[in-house]
Amino acid sequence: MHGLESTGKVIISVVDNLHDTLIFSGKVVRRLLHPAAYNRATRNVLVNQIYFTSVQILPVFLALSVVFASLLVGIVFQSLKTLGLAEYFGHVLMGLIVTELSPLLTVLLITLRSSSAINAEIAVMKSNRELTALEMFRIDLVDYLVVPRIINGMLSMVLLSSLFSIVLMASGLLLSALIFDMSVDVYTNILLNSTSFSAIFIALVKCAVYGFFVTLIPIRFGLRATRELTSIPITVSRGMVNVFAAILIIEVLSLLTRLF
Amino acid sequence: MTDAHPEQTAPVGADVPLISNQNVMMNISLIKEYHENWTKAQTQAFVSAGLERLGLSHIANRRNPALTAEERFCAMLLRAAMIRNALIVIDRPFQIFPHLQDATFLLGALDGISDLFMRCFILDYCWMKDKYGALCR
Amino acid sequence: MPISREFKVGLFVACTAAIIAVSLAALAMGKGLFETVHTFTLSSKSGDGFTEGMPVVFSGFNIGVVHGLELSDEGLVLIRIRIPHRHVKWIRSGSSFVLYRPLIGAARIVVNTDNLSSPALSENVIPEVTVVNDINDAIARIEPMLDRLTKIADNVERLTRTLADPRGDLHKTLGHAEKITSNLAGKKSVLEMAVSDEESIHAVHEALRKLDDIMARLDGLLAKTDAQLYNPEGALPQVNAILKDVLQKLQKLDKTIDNINRISADTSEGMKDFRILRSDIDDAVAAIDNLVQKLDGVVGSKKMPELKTP
Repeated sequence: MHGLESTGKVIISVVDNLHDTLIFSGKVVRRLLHPAAYNRATRNVLVNQIYFTSVQILPVFLALSVVFASLLVGIVFQSLKTLGLAEYFGHVLMGLIVTELSPLLTVLLITLRSSSAINAEIAVMKSNRELTALEMFRIDLVDYLVVPRIINGMLSMVLLSSLFSIVLMASGLLLSALIFDMSVDVYTNILLNSTSFSAIFIALVKCAVYGFFVTLIPIRFGLRATRELTSIPITVSRGMVNVFAAILIIEVLSLLTRLF
Repeated sequence: MTDAHPEQTAPVGADVPLISNQNVMMNISLIKEYHENWTKAQTQAFVSAGLERLGLSHIANRRNPALTAEERFCAMLLRAAMIRNALIVIDRPFQIFPHLQDATFLLGALDGISDLFMRCFILDYCWMKDKYGALCR
Repeated sequence: MPISREFKVGLFVACTAAIIAVSLAALAMGKGLFETVHTFTLSSKSGDGFTEGMPVVFSGFNIGVVHGLELSDEGLVLIRIRIPHRHVKWIRSGSSFVLYRPLIGAARIVVNTDNLSSPALSENVIPEVTVVNDINDAIARIEPMLDRLTKIADNVERLTRTLADPRGDLHKTLGHAEKITSNLAGKKSVLEMAVSDEESIHAVHEALRKLDDIMARLDGLLAKTDAQLYNPEGALPQVNAILKDVLQKLQKLDKTIDNINRISADTSEGMKDFRILRSDIDDAVAAIDNLVQKLDGVVGSKKMPELKTP
């Protein structure tokens, strides 16, 4: 009985959590589409957020991209050559590495750097009653805190993931010449044949969805903090767990969309 | 400063803190940028002038934890004064600077930016009226 | 002069967006998105294996795509393929179109053009697509193998059943082997195990012993025969001597016959000595008969040494 009760509680908690997240998402999307949300203060926050999320980490991100890309492409190309499946390397490069692994690695990097920071920042603001202060000055929390962070998440994800993909393809060019002794023309032709705009579109949409949720969930969990400072690490921890769950769910959903 | 707009409450108090991850300039600028859509340059110039009048130009780039109690109060007061047709409500000011014996500093600060707000109310416990001197008589 | 945060962010967003835009534009141009596209119609009796978006390949390079599939009034499947202008030169009136369905990988329409100088294919002409199906070929090749495998599996199953059967051949064989092993352990001979009757074994042993005796006697007999035949005083030298004697007698007989002839000639002259002469001849013939009989006897006994022992 006790086990069943615990299971029921967990299920109800998960469903409630999902429901709350979707309700909050709806509210945020409505504000995203509202022109009044884009006042000067929101725009300033957006610039700051993009700066901290993308510009400040750009050199490290590009260095990591080169390392990851070389490793991934090298391993995959070598495996294809060993298995005698060299003719499929274009499809593997575009279908697996560029449209699947590239957004996934980017979202993991952004989650580790920005999502945790956003979660902690909002939790501290809530704990210090700074959010109350903003409300007393009639500043809409969704407009001022959520909208710029969400836009930054989506934009940064799309831009950084695209950069990662471009670095990947450049690595592919180099490694295909080394491993397959392939010329630039042949490599380009294979890439062109293996690429479809629908796949790119799906990948970009997926990046945007990743960006939306890896910022929305930390904000939502940050807002759950109480006056007690001890609530901050708890909310950060729960928020990050939920962010990773969301990443997995989005990945599965994107795979399903490719199947149909 | 008087126009057709009604007065708007602008709170100052320990329960209405500054945003800790923004400096004084950004905290004060936020009000004009958000409500009146001022540009960054406009707000910075305006806020800088206000700080200068209070003799606090040096705190523009400081964040909340780095401020003294008096500096914090002035920053909060200036932020409240950024509200158009502000009706400033100062809630228990001695909670912000408990070490001060009287309201001289408070009144001096209000005098310094008196043209930036419409009216000001100070709310405090009755047993604190001695600290306000002539204001309570 | 320090670079403002806004400038850095603007530069990053603008540059990255420009890179993405250029990449997408290059991709679009590479895929011929802004090119004139020619549409050709192919036909097939069956629509199996055709899908919209299927690539059209020439010499391993994608040159177009299947744009649409339709069913004609005659029941034929019409396949509309779109070829960008830069690739249309590979589609000639002599081109053949093959639907290739590999065992691994996506199906594609392969264009084969032997003569590139032949006139361009008119968009109104509807060539037929032939089908090469690796999957069906593989299945056709695999089917007999599967039949054999099924038989082998049946046999294995039967064997297994037999092996598992306590009354089966294997168990019997194992029982016999056990018996043989125990017999061997009892130090009995193979003959004893084969006959499993002690009296018979003794009889066989006795017979063998007798056979040994017979062989010994036979050897002695043969030795004696040799001695009798080939000794200086044996049968063969005697036969030789007799033959020589016979030859001498025959020579004498020749003379006698000559005498007889002369006598016969003389007979006509005088018949009074005829009866005496006749009796002399009879005597001589009888003597020869005896000699011949002796000779036969001797010659006949000559075969004996050649008798082969069993």
